[in-house]
Formats: sequence, C-alpha cells, structure tokens
Amino acid sequence: MIQENLPVLLVVTLLFTAYLLPIFTKRRPRIIELLVVTVECLILGGTLYLAGLIARQGRAPIIYPAGGWPAPWGIELSVGSLSILFLLMIAGVGLPVAIFATDGITWQLRSRQRVAWFFTLYLLLAAALAGLAVTNDLFNVYVFVEVATISCCALVAAKDDPLAIKAAFRYLLLATVGSGFIFAGIGLIYLVTGNLDMTFAFTELSQRAYTYPHVVRLAISFFVIGFGTKAALFPLHLWLPDAHSAALTPASAILSGLAVKGYIIALAKILYIIVGPALLQALSIDRILLLMGMVAIVAGSLLALAQDELKRRLAYSTVAQVGYIFLGLGLMNTTGLAGALFYAASHAIIKACLFLAAGAIISRTGKERVSQMAGVGREMPITMGIFTICSFALMGLPLLSGFIGKWNLLRGSIQAGSFLASLVIILGSLLCAGYLLPVIRTAYFVPAGTTTTKETSFLQISSMLILTVFVIVLGIAPGPLWNLAWQAARDLLGG
Amino acid sequence: MKDYILKRVVILLLPLMQVFGLYVIFHGHLSPGGGFAGGMIVGLGLVCYAAVYGMEKGTDKVPDRAATLIESFGTLWYGAVGLVGVFKGTLFLSNKATGVPMGQPAALLSGGWILVITLGVGIKVASTIVTLFYALTEEEES
Amino acid sequence: MKVSLLSRLLANYPYVAAFILFAIGIYGVIASSNLLRKLLGISIMESAIFLMFIASGNITGRGVPIVDAAKESVGYVNPLPQALILTGIVVGVSTTAFALALLVKLHKYYGTLDARIIYDKREADKH
Repeated sequence: MIQENLPVLLVVTLLFTAYLLPIFTKRRPRIIELLVVTVECLILGGTLYLAGLIARQGRAPIIYPAGGWPAPWGIELSVGSLSILFLLMIAGVGLPVAIFATDGITWQLRSRQRVAWFFTLYLLLAAALAGLAVTNDLFNVYVFVEVATISCCALVAAKDDPLAIKAAFRYLLLATVGSGFIFAGIGLIYLVTGNLDMTFAFTELSQRAYTYPHVVRLAISFFVIGFGTKAALFPLHLWLPDAHSAALTPASAILSGLAVKGYIIALAKILYIIVGPALLQALSIDRILLLMGMVAIVAGSLLALAQDELKRRLAYSTVAQVGYIFLGLGLMNTTGLAGALFYAASHAIIKACLFLAAGAIISRTGKERVSQMAGVGREMPITMGIFTICSFALMGLPLLSGFIGKWNLLRGSIQAGSFLASLVIILGSLLCAGYLLPVIRTAYFVPAGTTTTKETSFLQISSMLILTVFVIVLGIAPGPLWNLAWQAARDLLGG
Repeated sequence: MKDYILKRVVILLLPLMQVFGLYVIFHGHLSPGGGFAGGMIVGLGLVCYAAVYGMEKGTDKVPDRAATLIESFGTLWYGAVGLVGVFKGTLFLSNKATGVPMGQPAALLSGGWILVITLGVGIKVASTIVTLFYALTEEEES
Repeated sequence: MKVSLLSRLLANYPYVAAFILFAIGIYGVIASSNLLRKLLGISIMESAIFLMFIASGNITGRGVPIVDAAKESVGYVNPLPQALILTGIVVGVSTTAFALALLVKLHKYYGTLDARIIYDKREADKH
C-alpha cells in the first residue's frame, strides 16, 4: 500500500512534517530537530527503495497518475533515473546539513520559537525540490518552483540582520521576475501545444514547432532566462553572492548545494523532454547553452579570485560550477550530459561541506576573511582537513568525486567537437585551484600566534565527515551513481 | 481608527461578509470561487474588524496562536484527505474510487471529497490572511 | 502589408495588451529606485501574464464554464486556464505579502526605501 504510492508519499511526508512543526513552537527545540532528522532518514530510505524498484524493472520510469486520472487529463508523476539521482541528492545532502544545523541554531536565531519556523522552511524547500524531481506536468513545475523560491528567500531572511534582509529582498525581486518569465514560457507552450503534460506536449510540439517558430523560440528563451536567474547563470547571478554569504551557514549550504541544482534539473527536464534534442539542435539552443556555460565558468572563477571574504569566495565559486553544468547541458551527447549530472550531484555534496566548514571556522574563530585565516590549521585541524579534501575534490583531483564529473565533461566536449569547451574546462579547474589553494596555504603554512584548539562540536564534525566520506567514496567507486547518471542522460536524450 | 461611522458600518457589514464568504466556499464545486476566493473574503472580514476596532479587539477575537495553528491544521486536513485514497488502496487524492458518495450533479452535497477539500482550503486561507495582517502591523517589539 | 499587420494586431488585442503591460512591469522593476515601486512593477508583470493565459482560453460564441443543462448546446469556454490562473494569483499574493514584510523590516533598519541610499549605507556597513 505504501510501496505503490511511494513517489507521491516522499513529497507529501516532507510537506506534512513541515506543517506539523509550527505546532511545536513552544516546545523544546530538541523535539523539532529529532523530527526533522527522522523525516530526512525516511526520505533517504524511501529513495533507495525506489531506486531498487526501478533497477529491477529494467530502468523504465515509474508512472504515477495522481488521483487516478491519467495524462493528459490529470497530473502524472514520473520517477526515472534522473528523479532518483536528484532525490538521492536531496536526502543525502539534506540529512547531514540538518544534523549540522541542530547544533547552535537556537543561539544563532536568538530565539527558541524561531527554530521551528527555520526547520519548517527547510523541510518546505526539501519538499519543493523533491516535487520538482518527480513531476511530469508543466504547471506542477511552476508551483514547486514558487514554493522553493519563497522558502529560499525566507531561509536567507531568517538571520535577522540588515545585510541579510537586503540580500533576501534582492533575491526575492530577481527570483520573482524569473518566475514571471517561467510562467510566460509555460503559457506560450500551452498556447502552441494545448497540453501541459510533458510527454504529450513533446508529441504536439514536434508537429507544430515549424508552424510557430517564433513562439517556440520565445518560450525557450523565457525558460532559459527564468531558470537561469534562479540558478545563478552568469550574468543573471547578481543576487547570489549577497544571499549566500549573508545567510546562516546551514541555509547557505542548502541553497548553494541543492536549490540551485533543482532549478537546473527542472530546466533540463523541460528542455529535453518537451522541446527534445532534435529541435534544440535545429534552433541552436545547445550552442547558446554551451557558450553561456563557458562564459559563466571563466567569469565566476575570475570573480571568485577577487574576493577576500571566505563565504563570498565560495558563493562566486558556485556561479562558476553552475557554468560547468550548463556546459554539459549544451553538449548533446550522453557522456557530456551524464558527466554534467554526476558533477551536479558531487558539487552539491562538496559545496555543502565547504560551506559548513567555512561556517564552523567563522563561528568558532571569528575569522571571516581569507587574509585573516593564518593559523586556522592548528586551531581547527579536523575542520580544516575536511575543507582541504573538499577543495581538492572541487578542483578535480583524481580519486575524489569531482574528477569523474570533469573528466566525462572533457570527454563529452571532445566528442562534440568543441575544443574550446575542453580548454575552458581545464582553465576552470586551474582557476579553481587558484582561488582555493591560497585558503589552504594561509591556514596551514602561515605562522600565527595562537595554538589553542577551538575545534567545533561532535555533531558538526560528524555531519561534515558524512559528506566527506560521500565525496571520497564517490571518487573511488563511482559505479552505482555513475550508472544512474548515465541512464538519466540516456532517458533525456533518447526521448 | 476611531471613526464612529466606520465602526457602525463595519459591525453591520461583517456578518454579511462572513456569510457570503462561506457561501463561496461551500459552492466551490458548483460556481466560480472555491476555497481560495471564499477564504479570502472570510479572512478580509476579520481583517476589517481588526483594522477598524483596533488590534487588541482583533486579537481577542482571533488570537495569534490560534491563527497559526489553524493554518497548519488546514494543510494537514488537505493532506489527510489525500491520504484517504492511499489508505483505501487507490492512488493519492482519489475521489470516486475511495467509495465516497458522489451525489447528484449540481446539488450541494456532490462531488465526493471536493467539498471537504474546499472547506479545508477556505479555513487555511482565511487564517493565513489574518496571520499576514498581524505580521505586517505588529508594533516594535524587540 | 501594413494594413494586414494592424488588423492582425487589433484582432489579437488581449495579447497586445498583455505584452504592453509586461513591458511596463519590467520597466518599473528596472528603472525605479524605490523598492515599493519595484514590487508594484512585479505585480503588473504578473497581471500581464494572467491576462495572456486567460485570453488564450476564450472561444468566441461560447458561455461561462458552469455546468447548466440549458447551455449544453452553446458549449463552454476552456476552463483549464482559469483554474491555472487562480493558482497563479495565489502565488502572486504570497510573494507580494512576503516582499512587503521584508520591506517593513528594511524600513525599520535603514529608515528609507530608496535602493540607492540603502546600497550606500550597506557598503558603509560592510567596511
């Protein structure tokens, strides 16, 4: 009974718990934190079960019509390899970040009552992203995108200081303009095809696209602009550095790791399932995505080099890595797309861990800027060690998960015949080393006065260690996740 | 606002607003409106009362905490109706397949679970409007 | 050629109006320095999209989509866009309410709603 309805139950459980939490505002925060961690574990278990189910039936997606009405009359959920990949990301990153947040959130929010609201927003964001992963209906995508946007902005505004509120308002403004564009794009697709279900819209669109070429092109550009604003594609990234550096640490980790990827995966679903690879190549959208990805990598990395505050440097690094994923989306071959999806998953884990480590360093030692970070290697050895491993993974060193993604992006771009893209990928890695190695060098090798250890608490270290173990395991034995990414790429390109 | 005319007019209009709002909610499956529009009308009635008579009288009628609890309750109600479908063996949010009586079309008690869901949505939206109003007009409290 | 373009524009007047409103809304967001006016620009932009959606569901000569035995022969207008727009309006209301709450807080912290003054104060705060 629960097994057949698992796709919708994952989203519903998160939503249910998110709305259960405000009832407990007056209780002790421990109950709330326990509830959140339990729900995340349940989601992880449910996703693994679904993954096993799909693997047993030959990798075909599970179709779930909500309310018993099949498409095109009703909303269908379609759980394929791409959905499983993203659900694993949500559960796998959401759980450690929630564990990290339980330590110290009461002090940081300055009130016991606001802990319940913070975790409500956290679970709402997870629910919206899970919904984005499983849905197969275009308007459902819009609803979940809106829920995710408002939860993200509220998470940024949870920290009640002037910088955070200004950053949250700017994020809300730009994200709502993006939502407006997405809604307009959905309207245009509905005007041309008369269907809101993705598979049905594809069949209609492939017949009608040549009768209405301008409308289709307008709709695709609206989608790219709308989702690009929310995913911080250069030059639409202006809200990201302020928002991610001014937010609370667990909020930055979740925003940079999961929320940004959620919008990119939604865009990939819309572009590949509705418009289809053939039409994308005929309208040269793939070349445009490739170009924008390359520009984002170079611009984001160069801007990151110029930042002195640690969190802002990591935020601009997210802008650059989003460029990698867009580059993979524009390559149009299975290797490149699978590499991009694998890189998205590994970047989520790495960036979340980096933000958590940076937050721990800032809150324990009070040092916000890279230039001040002398001696941190001695003050917080374990945290700095975790930071170092994750930085090496982001640079793409072998034996860590970032390497697999970048290597396959490289292979994909050579297969697609774009040597410029290969050069930019390598250049991006060099620039990444350029803005991450000075942090490590200053922390370990620059002498400083203090030698007292101010290491952070057990809960925070264990959550960061879980993420680091994921990074190392995915680097040494990428098999299962790589197969998932490969199958997802085949599903997207084959349709 | 301490205007005499406003207070008399609002106290006469308020019952009409509530009844109209409830009418829109209950006929959600038969005529335009439904949960959201009806809930807004009910909520705005309460907001009018709080705006004209002052926040203390407003919060006496609908306390802060009650509004928040009703909000959560509304969403849980919706989820519970959806889960009825799951527990009876059919899919989430099923209507006829769960065995609920469907009634005659165009009668008030028809449409299965739709009326129940509309009620839940209406209550939730009303309490959301009230909560938003309280949040936007709260005085300086540090 | 010109006449046919003008007559086509006049025949599709809801979409022309939606486009003009969209442009006005975006212009409001970009060009005004008061944060409240930017928010109003977003509201106008969303109204434009609602207009486009609903106008797309209209079929000339048919009636309101409420089931009524007397109107079966005439037929009904497409009711799906209307349901979608109801959801869209709810989303717009929530976003506006949240943005207004943030504006109240911003005014409390900075004393003004002018984006340029807040930017200068924020830069001064950071250094």
